[in-house]
Amino acid sequence: MPAVNLSAQSTFRDSVELNPIVVTASHTPKTLKDAPVVTRLITLHDIKIVDATNIQDMLTQEIPGLEFGLAMSQETSLNMSGFGGNAVLFLVDGERMAGETMDNTDYNRMNLDNVGRIEIVKGASSALYGSNAVGGVVNIISRENLEPWTANANTRYNTFGHEWRNGASFSFNTEKWNSQTSFQHTMIDPVDLPKAHTSEEIAIELMKKAQGLPYDESVLNDDSNISRLYGQKTYNVKERLTWRATDQLTLTGRGGYFFRTSERDTYDYHFKGYSAGLKGRYAWDHARNLELSYAYDQYDKANFLPDGTRTHDHDYSNQQHVVHALYHHPIGKNSLLLGADYLHDYLTTYQFIDNTSHTQNNIDAYAQFDWNITERLNVVGSVRYDYFSASCLDAFTARLAVVCKLPLFTLRGNYASGFRAPTLKEMYMHFDMGNMGYMIIGNPELEPEKSHNFNVAIERQNRIRHSGILDGVYNFTLMGYCNIFDKRITTIDYTYEGMESALYWNEDGVNVWGVDLSMGHYFDWGLTLKINYSWMHETGNVWFSQFNQTRNHSMTWRIGYNHRFSRCYALDAALSGRCLGKPQSGRTGVDQGYTIWKLMVQHHLWRGVHVNTAIDNLFNYKPKSYYYSSPLTTGTSFSIGLSVDLDKI
Amino acid sequence: MKKFLTMTMAVMALVVSMSSCGSDDDEPEVAVANQVVGSYTGTEVLTVMGEADESTETFEFTKATDSSVDMVIPKYGEGMMTVPALPVKGIMLTKSGNTITGKLAQYEGSVQTADGAEKAYTVSDVTVIFSDNTVVVTFTQKYGNMPFGFEGQFTGTRK
Repeated sequence: MPAVNLSAQSTFRDSVELNPIVVTASHTPKTLKDAPVVTRLITLHDIKIVDATNIQDMLTQEIPGLEFGLAMSQETSLNMSGFGGNAVLFLVDGERMAGETMDNTDYNRMNLDNVGRIEIVKGASSALYGSNAVGGVVNIISRENLEPWTANANTRYNTFGHEWRNGASFSFNTEKWNSQTSFQHTMIDPVDLPKAHTSEEIAIELMKKAQGLPYDESVLNDDSNISRLYGQKTYNVKERLTWRATDQLTLTGRGGYFFRTSERDTYDYHFKGYSAGLKGRYAWDHARNLELSYAYDQYDKANFLPDGTRTHDHDYSNQQHVVHALYHHPIGKNSLLLGADYLHDYLTTYQFIDNTSHTQNNIDAYAQFDWNITERLNVVGSVRYDYFSASCLDAFTARLAVVCKLPLFTLRGNYASGFRAPTLKEMYMHFDMGNMGYMIIGNPELEPEKSHNFNVAIERQNRIRHSGILDGVYNFTLMGYCNIFDKRITTIDYTYEGMESALYWNEDGVNVWGVDLSMGHYFDWGLTLKINYSWMHETGNVWFSQFNQTRNHSMTWRIGYNHRFSRCYALDAALSGRCLGKPQSGRTGVDQGYTIWKLMVQHHLWRGVHVNTAIDNLFNYKPKSYYYSSPLTTGTSFSIGLSVDLDKI
Repeated sequence: MKKFLTMTMAVMALVVSMSSCGSDDDEPEVAVANQVVGSYTGTEVLTVMGEADESTETFEFTKATDSSVDMVIPKYGEGMMTVPALPVKGIMLTKSGNTITGKLAQYEGSVQTADGAEKAYTVSDVTVIFSDNTVVVTFTQKYGNMPFGFEGQFTGTRK
């Protein structure tokens, strides 16, 4: 990953001055300060200083109230403000991805090698994005280099799992053409997690107990769920080619391939992703334009024996074809947005009877009116209708957002509804889990999950001048929210042909209340202070799952310093941390809060040569026992990386 | 004469004593594996995903070599929801006093289910301690495509 160019600190400062353009909150380019809904922006500088490999690494370190844990098969599982991974919509350049691993998108597909920024909108956004945008939207937006050409090669080694990450990117830009190509390969060895007690220690206590001698009961009750993190390799290739045919017409084609292999105890798991797309944009002027696009995404899973033979008993393929139409029309100072989508969803999986397949079509139409009543008052209203063919269900969603810019503060108020349609898996699953006769049965009668999100926010950002070392920019955002989440799709106990089973079912929902606080001070002389805090509380039918937990308190922070000492050397350093409180639910006897610090130092040397070093888990935190929400660390780890911008040599 | 008889008896006593010692030395040591083979019945606790399930089971130990044994973890579950009995081979034994300890880092095998399907499995982190007629066993087992492992503890006595 190329390291930050300190001579161009505009990217970094833009995030402070609230001037960067964001698109996710309104499907329309707006400056961050004008966005109708509070949008959390992760800038290119943030991505580079964190040196994250994928979206999971990045969000873990930046967003409080968001946590990645492990699902049953050691695939990654998300909890964001009380919502699971299938209730948070992840987009890459506005496109959703096919497939899932234990109800979560494969986050390894979302590598950050060529990403320009990440926009996060918490709360429902189904009025613009449809199904799954129940708890929030995370939009990963690719970089577009404007230099005539760029080329970068990079490598990084991390002591945790002896992880290697190697990448390369190339871009060129002419009057008519723009091309971005990136490749990334990662490789991590299995990591044995230390248990609280060895098997021998347990056996000795067990023998004492059998012989009637005094023994330590706590040794016999080892709470660890995970003893080994599986190793894996990933390959990720992406290409995007843009042709500016005329001043009005732009055509963009893209393609991507992803491969991941994970060596498990008994089989090797293989995961593949294919993506392609074509988009045409015709702009009459800067405000009036029409976009038509087609996107294809496929995600496959299969198991292989160690000798390379495919077992065919775990074949899975999800293929999605999507057609979008989007029209922006200015009306004076206001604007109208009209959109429609068609999605064809195909799924074949070992979890269906006889590995059969099912399909579903989803059509939708939506409209949004952006009403600038005065210079200081803006109202954005959106409505959307969705229809799903497999269930013959429809969903109507709406959003109303108000932005009021007062002299000292900006106030925002927002109501949005969200929904998640039952997936083909949830409707038609007929799966004998582990071949043990424990059936999981789909339910074609499922209704969509529904959510109502209310939030209010107060923001202030200002520049301090003529105050010596305090000169700089500060900002803070305080947001309170309530999510009312109903008809949640989960499984209930069920008897199928006399066997103990589970049936997908709509359960009563939960209400999530919370407060997010974000503060930052960016000193002109290079120091940065950032702190983000999140409090949340679930009420109602709180799910006591060991996989998906809600922590009442969580916080992230970063103290950064950057300075160019000479033409040949600049320093970018950051001391960051995250603190997660004890979960509100889950295995309360085992679960624990924790704090982890990370020190990152980047040296920018002569002519595009960058050396990145990091010490993660600085104070050597080790979990008492490893379970599904434990931080995946065995103590302090170190990483060192080299990045070379070949075009600058 | 009396002195001669006394000396003769002393020598005989010494010879008898030495031959007695020699007799002990010559008796072959019972192989460690032979000392522990057999069927042990007792309580097995299997913990999966934090939930413990206790049942009465029998573990079989058979001799593999003089210093190693094979073990069979009994089948678990009922009806279709069954993990078949899983052989674990090559547990190396060491003796210390009255205690014999067996260790095995990992064993990979495959087994046929009731419907004839071949399932791979892994049993790792095995510790076995024998003392008198009592055995304790700790292990971790992964079966087929099950996405989670079983943590096992067994305490039993030889029949």
